[in-house]
Amino acid sequence: MAKILVKIDSELRELIVSVAVLLLTFRILLELTSGMVWDWNGWSVIEPQSYPPCEANRFLQFTCSTAWIGMIETIKIAILATFFGMILSLPMGLLSSRNLFPQYITYPSRAVVSACRSLPSLIWAIIFVILVGLGPTAGIMAMTIYTVGYLGKMQYEAIEGMNSAPLEAANAMGLTKAELSLWVVIPEMANHLIAQMIFMFEYNVRSGTVIGIVGAGGIGYYINLYLKFLQYEKVGAYLLIIFMVVMLIDLVSIYLRSFFTDESENTKPTWTGVFLPRYEKILLSE
Amino acid sequence: MPAVVRISNLEVGFQGHSLLSIDDFHINQGEVLAITGPSGIGKTSLLKTIAGLLNPISGTVHVCGATLPQRPERGSIGYIPQKLGLVRHSSVWSNVMLGSRAGNPRSTSREHAMNAIEAMGLGEKKNEPIKRLSGGQQRRVATARTLAQRPRLILADEFLSELDEETSERVVKSVLDYVSSNEAAMILVEHDVSRAREISDRLLVIDDGRLNPFIRDTSVMEV
Repeated sequence: MAKILVKIDSELRELIVSVAVLLLTFRILLELTSGMVWDWNGWSVIEPQSYPPCEANRFLQFTCSTAWIGMIETIKIAILATFFGMILSLPMGLLSSRNLFPQYITYPSRAVVSACRSLPSLIWAIIFVILVGLGPTAGIMAMTIYTVGYLGKMQYEAIEGMNSAPLEAANAMGLTKAELSLWVVIPEMANHLIAQMIFMFEYNVRSGTVIGIVGAGGIGYYINLYLKFLQYEKVGAYLLIIFMVVMLIDLVSIYLRSFFTDESENTKPTWTGVFLPRYEKILLSE
Repeated sequence: MPAVVRISNLEVGFQGHSLLSIDDFHINQGEVLAITGPSGIGKTSLLKTIAGLLNPISGTVHVCGATLPQRPERGSIGYIPQKLGLVRHSSVWSNVMLGSRAGNPRSTSREHAMNAIEAMGLGEKKNEPIKRLSGGQQRRVATARTLAQRPRLILADEFLSELDEETSERVVKSVLDYVSSNEAAMILVEHDVSRAREISDRLLVIDDGRLNPFIRDTSVMEV
């Protein structure tokens, strides 16, 4: 018990140090950018909007800002698109795997997966904005389709690379393809599939910032708006916020994915290592 | 005794390259057959062909009432590959249930799985994931999975390696008991000739056609 406490304690300490360093860097970045070249008023994007009136307490006023609302919408779109994309891509990934199904099934299935991937999510967003109208629904649909294409490919490539012995044993037993997929392939590949899903979420947050530009919801909508008004400092502020959020999600996803890699006990990184890889290397060499 | 496996004019190999040729051969119910011979001579390929995992170059194979490539009845063949073929992230129970579900009706599958786990002395490890078990324990899980399946034919590829003498005896006893009491048949590939002789009713040595009346021609694949 004491050992676990010490472990949590050291991890928590690492996390606090890492977040503090990150915040300090951000603060320095703010100081450096304010008053540079032009009178920087870009940060008004994290101030609450004048309408509707903000009812949050004074420490949470930023939650009424366009940056917060847009970013949260982007993240929500990414979560839903990843979720629906995963549900749809898993059967496609299984059907596309040549070590599970014959060619007359894998070829059409791969064609569908490729078709989903052939257009970037931005083009899918334009199509769905035309089909279902402006708003996040179009964004979710667009990114779901792209997720099926991208994740489906990653999944069937991972499944084709799996150890053949469990499949041989299960085939000899006479299990059906559905049983083989549910009881052998998915459990055996679960770590890969989860790690890929986390990666896809991170990817979707990044691409989700762009689709708003064509009216499919998220922070991109505000970027497009201020671009049209030629308020480039605000656009710059949004881009900085996106950069920070994407970096944060990226770092957390590295940590989360490490739990699902095969030999997680050996490769699990520390929080310090995630935030400051160089710092950890120096510590280890000492 | 009816034959569980009947082979005639079989040629086993990969991509048209022949490894083994067999004129005529059969194995009856209740019989245990051991195959031994140098590496790369096609022992595993022969097992895979009988299991329906590898198409023969020519010839016919009748297994459990079906002629390949037609599949025999579900759960008739229990195959223990050399690499065991366990689902590494699943528990011992899930792996054994996989076999049990394949060979038994839903109502009895849990009971057969539990019996097989107990027979292999893995009761305490029931909920452990496979990747946390030693090599020997994993071999016992693979054997338990096949016993729980209650197949008519067991194909085992070096299933006793990595086991200590005591455990090996226990595993062999369980498998032989199963074969004799259920009138099943077993073909095992074993490198240890003395052990193979001990376990089996018939020992076949594949060694360039020698010592084996039904192996017409064999060629050792260069490694």
